[in-house]
Amino acid sequence: MRLARTKFGIFILVFGLACVAPQLLAEKNDTKSLNSGDEKRALQALNRLTFGPRPGDLQQVMAMGVDRWINLQLHPERIDDGALNSRLEPLRTLGMSTHELAENFPDPQEIVQVMKGKRAMPSDPALRAIYEVQLARVQARKERKEETEAKAASGSAVATKPGEVSQETMSASAAAAPESVDREPAAAPALSTVEFEELSSLPADQRYQKILAMPPDELIAFAETLRGGKRRDFVEGMSPQERETLIALNNPSAAVDTELAEAKLLRAIYSQRQLEEVMTDFWCNHFNVFIGKGLDHLMLTSYERDVIRPHALGRFEDLLVATAKSPAMLFYLDNWLSIGPNSPQALGAPAHPYQAIGRPARPNQGKRPSGLNENYGRELLELHTLSVNGGYTQRDVTEAAKVFTGWTIDKPAQGGGFKFEPRMHEPGPKIVLGRRIKENGKSEGLELLHRLATSKQTAHFISLKLAERFVSDNPPPALVDRMAKTFLKKKGDIREVLSVLFQSPEFWDDSTYRAKVKTPLEFVVSSIRATGAEVDDAMPLTGRLNGMGMPLYGAQPPTGYSMKADAWVSSSALLNRMNFALALTNGRIRGVRVDWDALIGDQFSDSGQTLSALEKKLVAGGVSEQTHTSIAEQIGTGKDSMPQKVRDGAEPQSVLTTAGLLLGSPEFQKR
Amino acid sequence: MPITRRVFIRNSGLAIVGTAAIPSFLARAAWGSADAGTRTKRLVVIFQRGAADGLNIVVPHAEAQYYAMRPSINIPREAVIDLDGFFGLHPSLAAFQPLWEQRHLAIVHAAGSPDPNRSHFDAQDFMESGTPGVKSTEDGWLNRSLRELPGPAQKSPFEAVAMGPSIPRILSGIEPAVAMNNINDFTVGGRSAKTSPVASAFEAMYDHSSDTVLHSAGEETFDAVKMLKSADPAKYVPAAGVDYPKGHFGDSLGQLAQLVKANLGVQVAFADISGWDHHVNEGATEGQLANVLREFSLSLAAFWKDLGDLGEDTVVVTMSEFGRTAHENGNRGTDHGHANVMFVLGGPVHGGKVYGRWPGLDQSQLYQGRDLALTTDFRQVLGEAVLRHMGNRHLGEVFPGYENQTGKFLGLLG
Repeated sequence: MRLARTKFGIFILVFGLACVAPQLLAEKNDTKSLNSGDEKRALQALNRLTFGPRPGDLQQVMAMGVDRWINLQLHPERIDDGALNSRLEPLRTLGMSTHELAENFPDPQEIVQVMKGKRAMPSDPALRAIYEVQLARVQARKERKEETEAKAASGSAVATKPGEVSQETMSASAAAAPESVDREPAAAPALSTVEFEELSSLPADQRYQKILAMPPDELIAFAETLRGGKRRDFVEGMSPQERETLIALNNPSAAVDTELAEAKLLRAIYSQRQLEEVMTDFWCNHFNVFIGKGLDHLMLTSYERDVIRPHALGRFEDLLVATAKSPAMLFYLDNWLSIGPNSPQALGAPAHPYQAIGRPARPNQGKRPSGLNENYGRELLELHTLSVNGGYTQRDVTEAAKVFTGWTIDKPAQGGGFKFEPRMHEPGPKIVLGRRIKENGKSEGLELLHRLATSKQTAHFISLKLAERFVSDNPPPALVDRMAKTFLKKKGDIREVLSVLFQSPEFWDDSTYRAKVKTPLEFVVSSIRATGAEVDDAMPLTGRLNGMGMPLYGAQPPTGYSMKADAWVSSSALLNRMNFALALTNGRIRGVRVDWDALIGDQFSDSGQTLSALEKKLVAGGVSEQTHTSIAEQIGTGKDSMPQKVRDGAEPQSVLTTAGLLLGSPEFQKR
Repeated sequence: MPITRRVFIRNSGLAIVGTAAIPSFLARAAWGSADAGTRTKRLVVIFQRGAADGLNIVVPHAEAQYYAMRPSINIPREAVIDLDGFFGLHPSLAAFQPLWEQRHLAIVHAAGSPDPNRSHFDAQDFMESGTPGVKSTEDGWLNRSLRELPGPAQKSPFEAVAMGPSIPRILSGIEPAVAMNNINDFTVGGRSAKTSPVASAFEAMYDHSSDTVLHSAGEETFDAVKMLKSADPAKYVPAAGVDYPKGHFGDSLGQLAQLVKANLGVQVAFADISGWDHHVNEGATEGQLANVLREFSLSLAAFWKDLGDLGEDTVVVTMSEFGRTAHENGNRGTDHGHANVMFVLGGPVHGGKVYGRWPGLDQSQLYQGRDLALTTDFRQVLGEAVLRHMGNRHLGEVFPGYENQTGKFLGLLG
């Protein structure tokens, strides 16, 4: 989806951090001298607390004073982020509740409910259009399936009932789910070229109204026509909502997933609250939820917005409890289905008039879910709190799972929230980590979470991970110990733990300067930031990240992505980075534009000067003599080798190539 | 830092533009030319990430206990592809049936890592490091297996290949290894056969880099890029009638076959396939497990057919971090368990047989009262492949801390 360019773009580009706190800058501007020690300090801070410096950032941080700048970043609420918010404004789904998302961008499950007459067809014309096309598709798929199954009739004994949208559709193994609908063979004929051209030639508002007024058959034909990249041009001039509707015609989930991923990149690139974004990314990864697991893709918008970001610099226990109750985590790690073996529901006590777990029973599958699921209990101990060496046993995992029975989701397919269902809860006391938790319903879970959040092992594990993110792949144990002590003393206050980290001599030690290899996300975002590029459309960037092995929200295992170099340095990765760098500087990434005039001006008479200017602008902290020489030899440094910039034309190729070589250089791979 | 073979570029004083030297090894004829005694032996390791449910993959259909423990997700006897009257393949593994009948496919049941850990992350880590229970091991066993390997002194940059965006744990270590996501993108600055000036500049930068990690990754990368360009694997299309399934795993094996057929000197290779962690609605003859098994078996069968005669020198071994609970759980799925099943496919394999001792599924026979017990250590299976197939006798270095007694090998090979 294209984003409207905001008038703030240039403002950001030129003034950089100035909008953070102009009054602070004014005070200091003329008193601070630029010695190289300070510069390195400022760079270290920028490299670690942000997604990479932008043009002008270094000067701004030095003018403000590194310590004051860090303190400001630790208090994001004091930083105005209006420019970013205007960029995010067109992405309507970011503000929607999961319920609204489920309603507006229906999963196949919902469509089947309508098909079976269990839910009414929506009356809103846009929504109606989306449902009609989906209905026709589900119908066609059902017919195809019946055909194939009729052919293979003699086959296996326990085939899934035809037409039933089984839970598999909603569950894991669907990494490619968001696109899968688009790839299916056409179920209906498309509009003729003439018809489509005619439609395209109408003004945007009439175009849209005409589509909504189409009878179902024609609407489906139209939707078919939009496949294969024609949509981009067709939606030109339409409002965000109208565009979303057209995306949703062929793939309802894509509208949500696209905006989620776009927002992540736009925030990382443009937010002034950089540390908050870094920490939001850190916690989203620590409490990983995979977008490809069924309904989770609808839940992630709220997960990041309501569960992670508000606590990114807050108290760990609040964050832990929020994730434990989040539909996204309950769904991802299956806890919403976990039922105490001796619970009323498992023992078949008379049920409430409604389905306790919010989903119709499957008549052909015999018994309903009736047992314990250990998935969340295990990852809670191993990955969220104590760490794998945290001293727990298989028995602790099972008991923890019992504690959380009944923590479920109210009507997940309709985007419902957390609910404690006593009928699913395992009765009796539980013994976790050698201590008894007396029977107490939902409070048992809170009691356990409190114990975990305040345990020494947790304090150490979280401190270690933070130090790995901010200091080095193998951070000094003494630092981690001090952070862990603060964690315990300050009751898991993440801001306090980070303060200790940022004030530690280890953080400022010369050996940590540029010691971290960037992850693909850090590399891509930092190169956009370094060039001050204007991003109209972030989706091509998400595609690049997929190719680098780091799809956004795409880590399937609950471990999330590694933050260490060995996971990200390989032949394939290096080539991808070099090719990305060249594509970016040569303007070959759709939707992303670098303004070279704004970046380096046009006053250079030879390539040597250009190289030096680009080095200064693009690679904070400069490059090694060897990198400089390698590039200089490649581009030649004679006065004749570089034509002066022609007034009306594009930048000389050598400028673009030089910039690409710098962004692909070894120095730029590190932070 | 050791002097590299490209040191002369640094000292030559020549402009690097477009002149990056072709390493001497490229001048050599292709690897493993048909000369007797120099044929390249290959070991391909497949990791099923997420803990595959071995009991529903190679089904002990003669065990009444199996059906009792899995009331809703069992594979009915009439749906199982029977192998020997006791075990049978999941119907989605139909593509394996001919390989079994030709005796190229062997099965080891109740195999895996003896470590009791049920964490995906740790258990995968242990199986890749080859040292269950020891976290401090820095390199992977597949990398170590190359160290003492007999063969040419000048090694190919494609000696060790991982199909994917990064070098997995199993291949990390001192021996150079190449990670390859997509053959067609494995170049910089254009796809033409000539090395572009941009590529030369990048190569020089990384060659000079003081960062050891980036330096060595750069060296491996550019050697491989040049060699790949000269070998032009694009001309090695899949053999007639070979159809790789769509998706990451099929792509990986299809591209690996290209590299092998292009005679690039691949000795060990690694590919993985995820999506096995079925805590909920695992399915039986149809469903989640059935779908991923279909992709798994069709890809491997296509790879085998595609290799043709090269399969004679190839052994493929599959593994997964642990099995799953013998009982189904409350959500028609299975939780993390213990022992699992391994497949061994290849020319020199004595196939058509299920190896290993079957521990039984009675409650008293289960590991910790819940999982299939382990009777074959995965290092025993891998050790046999490393020694008997690859010819590396130093198993103590490949699997430190594990006494691999050749007398106890299962007899899968050689």
